[in-house]
Amino acid sequence: MKLAPLIGIEIAAFALIIFETYVFFNVVVPLGPIPHTLVEYTGYGLLKMLLVVGLVAVWFLVMVELTRLYTRSRLSPSPSPSS
Amino acid sequence: MADAGLLALSFIVPLCVVLAWMPVYLRWLTKAGRVVDDVHKRPPTKVPSPAGPVLFVAAIAGETVAYFAFGSLVPIAMMGVTTIAFAVGIADDLFVLGGKTKPLLLLLAAAPIVVLARYEPTLYNPVLTFPLLGDTAPHLIIYTLLAVAAFPIVANAFNMMDSFNGQISWFTLLVSLALVVGISLHAAFASGFSLSHLAVAFPLVGVALGLLFFNRYPSRAFDGDSGSLMFGAMFAGLTITGGVEVAAMIAIVPAILNSFYTLSSVRGFVERRKMGARPTYLGDDGKLYATREGSAPTTLIRLILLGGAQDEEGLVRSVIILVGVSCLLSAGISVLTWAF
Repeated sequence: MKLAPLIGIEIAAFALIIFETYVFFNVVVPLGPIPHTLVEYTGYGLLKMLLVVGLVAVWFLVMVELTRLYTRSRLSPSPSPSS
Repeated sequence: MADAGLLALSFIVPLCVVLAWMPVYLRWLTKAGRVVDDVHKRPPTKVPSPAGPVLFVAAIAGETVAYFAFGSLVPIAMMGVTTIAFAVGIADDLFVLGGKTKPLLLLLAAAPIVVLARYEPTLYNPVLTFPLLGDTAPHLIIYTLLAVAAFPIVANAFNMMDSFNGQISWFTLLVSLALVVGISLHAAFASGFSLSHLAVAFPLVGVALGLLFFNRYPSRAFDGDSGSLMFGAMFAGLTITGGVEVAAMIAIVPAILNSFYTLSSVRGFVERRKMGARPTYLGDDGKLYATREGSAPTTLIRLILLGGAQDEEGLVRSVIILVGVSCLLSAGISVLTWAF
């Protein structure tokens, strides 16, 4: 059971990939009207790319934070039974 | 039925090559003085290394069987990927390449797939297929650039999973089985997907299983970077030709997290032999402990050992459990992607 927190982080990584996939397909891809001009086409293209970069960044940040929490909890001395 | 026999052959041949040639090769390595310290033993034992050349010959033998059994350029592309990654790995084993040189050279491993796709457009499909949601639109240039970038990333991730007895062989065996599940379902449910895409995956399973006999605790052989980089590049190549990117990524989540932790804590590509503080250390009792200094690099192994000291065998068992969970999740993703 010592591995439970790490399995939890693994499942969180998996769940986040699935959730972000859903966001990608249902929010990012259909974003904005059908572009008619080059400016619209480029603008929406760049916005979608930024959102994808954002999704990747969110995944990494969540992973870093979960790992930091786990590391901190393992490194901090556990309270003695008398305290 | 005949196809199943040929698929089995592309698994059995590389397995038999490893089992038959490894003992002879290991004796030669020992006689030639090519042995390294197994630093996680007290006192350190001597282990022949690198076993990569036998693994390479076995992988090429398996891909050759796949070529003669199913034709197409897919096995040829995989032979090219395997050869280039092995060449980079053996150069690293013999001369120790720099932390930045290795990933740059590994970009070349993508060349056979990219070049041969011009002659056989079905070699890979430039779309990502997601579970339940389906395909993205085809983006040849973006997909190809990402595919090329994947080779050093995945090969490096495999290389970083090669620290303890049996770790790389168990890891490669489990993730390659997850890949076979994904590609099998892709072949079963998608039209126009030839069996050669599935056949090229079996040599990796056969070679990894063969290595496990010699690399499991206590190791009688270390694969070296020539083995681990080759495994990683083969995995990346199979992911691209098999069109199972999401499932493959899920299967190697422990390795991705491991390299991400390491790269972010040492801030960049640093050759592992040149890292300052060690993430773990061997205690006088023969158990492995996590370094408790904040400056030590974070690795998957250190995270496991933060939960309590373990002997090497128990530690590798913990890694296998984590990889097993990710492979089960990967198989679930494959079912959701192709069967629904």
